[in-house]
Amino acid sequence: MAEFTLPKNSVLTQGKTYPAPAGTKQIRRFEIYRWDPETGANPRIDVYELDANQCGNKVLDAIIKIKNDIDSTLAFRRSCREGVCGSCSMNVNGKNTLACTKSINDFPDVIKIYPLPHLQVIKDLVPDMSSFFNQYAEIKPWLSTKTASPERERLQNKTDRDKLDGLYDCILCACCSTSCPSYWWNSDKFFGPAVLLQAYRWLVDSRDEKTEERLSQLDDAFKLYRCHTIMNCTDTCPKGLNPAKAIAEIKKLMVERQKAT
Amino acid sequence: MTSHHPRPTSPHLQIYRLPLTGLISITHRITGVLLAAGIFLLMSVFYSLAQGEASYRNFQILAGYWLVKPVFWGIIFALFFHLCHGVRHLLWDLGKSFNPALLNLYATMELLCAAGLALLTWLLF
Repeated sequence: MAEFTLPKNSVLTQGKTYPAPAGTKQIRRFEIYRWDPETGANPRIDVYELDANQCGNKVLDAIIKIKNDIDSTLAFRRSCREGVCGSCSMNVNGKNTLACTKSINDFPDVIKIYPLPHLQVIKDLVPDMSSFFNQYAEIKPWLSTKTASPERERLQNKTDRDKLDGLYDCILCACCSTSCPSYWWNSDKFFGPAVLLQAYRWLVDSRDEKTEERLSQLDDAFKLYRCHTIMNCTDTCPKGLNPAKAIAEIKKLMVERQKAT
Repeated sequence: MTSHHPRPTSPHLQIYRLPLTGLISITHRITGVLLAAGIFLLMSVFYSLAQGEASYRNFQILAGYWLVKPVFWGIIFALFFHLCHGVRHLLWDLGKSFNPALLNLYATMELLCAAGLALLTWLLF
């Protein structure tokens, strides 16, 4: 159900400020969401001021700088630092993105960093993604066949391979799913844009033979049809993919399937 | 992890900056609800008509009151806005007009069309 306000234990408070050393010429101000599971006190916003000339160009550079030099208690996920692993997804100035590919210079003023929206927070910028990945597992994200295995690999022509472009590139960072109000209110039942895009990736794969089973699983008032084409997913995807389009294609397949029966 | 503290929910509506497409989507919903409520107003028009000339004259006086006029025009704009975004939904259901680069353009076009249709109504009546 839609809950528009935050529960009592999630309401934000003002935290500490770590000012830049006196004489710093180019100050960049970062306001970062913090929650400490050890104390269990309400989440707070800590303010860090960095010297822009001492810091790399990306948002991830800044938070690594903060962790290294100012406050080692800051927790966040990161790995590849080049937009292929999907670990450092977070909400930067009101939009979900990858901290490693987002330039600090895209923002003229304060940079506000929150964990991905409407998830349970484990610590600071680290949200609990287990439900998201469980949903991913539910769609059986692997090639599934009925015919006997051929001698060699299952071949695919160029045209069919091209259909996977813009789908297989998804890195499961969950930026899209956690930008979707429908997913906020029904993340227990609605699959959300990322998982649906992945579902479509296997539906259009010419080598996959479980199309009917896959469609039958998705034919559900919540799993698929909670998508109301709000378009936040496509707007926010840091890889420039189009989950909304993929969902529309699934809905079209669903109509074809109903016509056939 | 030995913590027993219940985990907080990360902020959502409080911090998310809805893009134009998102704002239009929620407005579509709100106008839908308002239009449903507007049906009562429409019924009151019919009711006053059915009650005869005197009753309708009273209704006209009420409808001409400056505070009531914006309500009517609000409903007219809401109707056209809801219509335009409804057409957009039909296009989406055909799998068309999903190009991310053009989303804002289409959204602006919807708003302009709705305003244009409302203006046309004003000029014609």
